[in-house]
Amino acid sequence: MAESPVAQRWFGRFWFVVLALGLMFLQLLPLQTIPRTWAPPDMMLAITLAWVARRPDLVPAMSIVFAFLLADLLFLRPPGLLALVILLATEFLRARSETLRSGSFAFEWITVALIIVAITLGNRAIIAVTASHQAPLALAMFQMMMTILAYPAAVLVSYLAFGIRRPALGEVDAFGRPV
Amino acid sequence: MARDRQTDEDYVGPIRRLLVGVLLLALAGIFVVWRIDSPRIERFRAAAIDRVVPNMDWALAPVTGIINLVADFQSYQGLAQQNADLRRELQQMKAWKEAALQLEQENAKLRDLNNVRLDPKLTYVTGVVLTDSGSPFRQSVLLNVGSRDGIIDGWPVMDGIGLVGRIAGVGQETARVILLTDTSSRIPILVQPSGQHAVLAGDNALDPLIDFLEDPDLVRPGDRVVSVSDGGVFPADLLVGQVVLGPDRRLRVRLAADYERLEFLRVLRNQPREAIRDQGGLLTPFAPPDGAADEDGGDNG
Repeated sequence: MAESPVAQRWFGRFWFVVLALGLMFLQLLPLQTIPRTWAPPDMMLAITLAWVARRPDLVPAMSIVFAFLLADLLFLRPPGLLALVILLATEFLRARSETLRSGSFAFEWITVALIIVAITLGNRAIIAVTASHQAPLALAMFQMMMTILAYPAAVLVSYLAFGIRRPALGEVDAFGRPV
Repeated sequence: MARDRQTDEDYVGPIRRLLVGVLLLALAGIFVVWRIDSPRIERFRAAAIDRVVPNMDWALAPVTGIINLVADFQSYQGLAQQNADLRRELQQMKAWKEAALQLEQENAKLRDLNNVRLDPKLTYVTGVVLTDSGSPFRQSVLLNVGSRDGIIDGWPVMDGIGLVGRIAGVGQETARVILLTDTSSRIPILVQPSGQHAVLAGDNALDPLIDFLEDPDLVRPGDRVVSVSDGGVFPADLLVGQVVLGPDRRLRVRLAADYERLEFLRVLRNQPREAIRDQGGLLTPFAPPDGAADEDGGDNG
């Protein structure tokens, strides 16, 4: 993929949307129709946070809204709510991605973990305030922990499969802009 | 060049913030409208699912098949044992089948003698499970039949044996089935030998909870549980399962349907019963005087 930098950036954005759709597809497979006492990590959230922390230019707000609004509709969640909370969280993370770049991975992980906790609690708080249908607490907490634990895996997969890494300090793109 | 881009950024920044603001407002708007007018947005959700999921149909079945194949391969050793068990079970079933046939014939004869009118048998549409709910918090499946096939919200869904759930959300080509295990599922039931009415409440566990039971002392583990047409929402006498005592010492229902393999499901056509509206006229030996039944007299004449 040695195309022009504009094409590369659009490829990156395109791959994000494809990856999100692929993860939704895997979740929808009718493999599990008996209720579980545990919950798998929300890989879509982990991957999105990893990409926003590392290459925010590849994950525009429109992509996030598209992916998570569709997920809200498909997974019977209150439509728009989780997309709203995640958009806020990613904007927060996006503004800090330059600070994260110079820090260690542990610092990045802790930041992302706090953001995941904030997303889960914020989502539940709004649902509680509007008296909507609340997911079981234990299961939600379990999923939150699993998502936090899955974050390094999301980073690794993004790096190995899509070449998403932290740009070095002072690295510039082909236009000469700092990345 | 670099300087140009840098000044360009200054224009992009505020516009981007504006765009994000608009997106946030739009999402908040969708959520608020959903909270206020849920049926409309739920119809939109059904339509959206109807557009998206049938496109994946070509890939869903083979991928599911391959994954199940791998999972089944791991349990390959158990296969011979399972085969032997099934054969033994089949022998027992044959004996039962013979008994059932004889009883059925006897029943038919007795009914004929008594001139009994029974409910007509329900007809059904069979659909294939396309997807599950995709989230560990909700228990539902999506079928490949929809309003095109005449499916209507609220119809019961069974597998070959027992009740599985009810239709909630119909698109053109797809319909969602809320399983009995979902936390929002509430079904009127009847516990059979004692005739106790209750509500079956899903709570995200495999065995749903029996709620609003009048007299728990009359109900024992092992009792048969069937659906009941209280409120006219469900046809009566669909097998639901058996009463069991849960690990938390509460009465639950072990479902008769095989929830591990939901593949083909029957949607029962549940036509609304004819309701008896008037309370019946007064029976009088003579025709009523002309003042009271003016219109009736006019129609007849």
